[in-house]
Amino acid sequence: MVYYVTRSNRHAADDEADLGRYSDPPLLVLASLADGPKHGHKMIEDIARMSGSRLGPGTLYGAIARLEREKLIEPLPAEERRYPYRLTAKGLRVLRAKLATLRRFARAGLRKLEAR
Amino acid sequence: MNARLARRLAALYPRAWRARYAEEFEAFLGAHPPGFRAVFNVVGWAMYERVSSPGEFNMDQRQRSLVLMAYAYLAAVAAGVNFYWTVADTPLATAMHGHSALFASWTLVRAGSFLALAAVAAAGLPVLAAMVRSVVATRRWDVAGRLAVPACAALVTLLWMAAAGMWAGGHWIPTPWDVTGDWTAPAGWPPLTTRWMLSSVTFALLAAGLIASAISVAQAIRRSDLSKHRRLWFAAPSLALAGSVAVMALGVLAWGWFAEQYAASDFHARNGGLFSSTNFAS
Repeated sequence: MVYYVTRSNRHAADDEADLGRYSDPPLLVLASLADGPKHGHKMIEDIARMSGSRLGPGTLYGAIARLEREKLIEPLPAEERRYPYRLTAKGLRVLRAKLATLRRFARAGLRKLEAR
Repeated sequence: MNARLARRLAALYPRAWRARYAEEFEAFLGAHPPGFRAVFNVVGWAMYERVSSPGEFNMDQRQRSLVLMAYAYLAAVAAGVNFYWTVADTPLATAMHGHSALFASWTLVRAGSFLALAAVAAAGLPVLAAMVRSVVATRRWDVAGRLAVPACAALVTLLWMAAAGMWAGGHWIPTPWDVTGDWTAPAGWPPLTTRWMLSSVTFALLAAGLIASAISVAQAIRRSDLSKHRRLWFAAPSLALAGSVAVMALGVLAWGWFAEQYAASDFHARNGGLFSSTNFAS
């Protein structure tokens, strides 16, 4: 009984932690590159710190491929078998716009919560 | 993750993706901690890239229309075979001769299928000719291979039916509908179990052939650069195909309605298992 209560409490806590995560891989990659170029592993660590989500290798390269196709990021020359990427001017504009939208959305949501 | 596994995982991605990312992705995976989650994540994304990859050329409006037409026609062929199978060698075939409305709706379906065939020929043959010219000029044998799949699938199925028919004594061909029913099998036919087994193989070949044809034709269209063939014209045939599919659907609905009215007991008869159950086929 104690085991099940503990277990279900832990699951509830995990679920709440999941709710606090932000998961939009392309936006996470853009945000990770906001302070300068990074290669894949650095991006994964940075994104895990920022959002609590640890992207899988396929997810990361799916996002990288999409962002590069849309010319939002670009590759830099390889450094010892590491392949860094950086934001393009268009990527910077898109990231600013998306984060500004998220900020407006978050403020509006928090205002509603405070009004309860 | 070891280099061999990384190479194998990268190989799951489509060719265009590999050409751009394989080297760095393998290096990235090589430095990534191994684990089932990482492997499943890569396999899942590789499948997604394969499904969503636009191929070597982004499809234009015309190519998308062609793919949709090919799918619509293959679906109509599958539905037509199923419908024929519902009626052939059942008392419903006899009932149709006694009821003009039932016969008229059957005729409507047949007319729709002929119109669909004409529309596909009108749109498809010039495109096929253009694709073949492009294949020869650019030596794209992978496209040629994909174009050959429908014919090969049909040939394999026919050869199977001929070989199995000869093996079974030459008096019976393993079609999915001539297995069992409310009739006594002719003397020269093989035993029921053999008919079931051989017809199951034919059914599997038909289904696999249709699926493989749908995939390969779509891939051939996707991989062909048709942008130089501006004079290809298929707006009218695609409308005719859509209309004929609608006519066929209407005919099938009417046929089902009249069968329910005039030959309900035959229509609902379960007269001998999967391959002759008109209920199942309906």
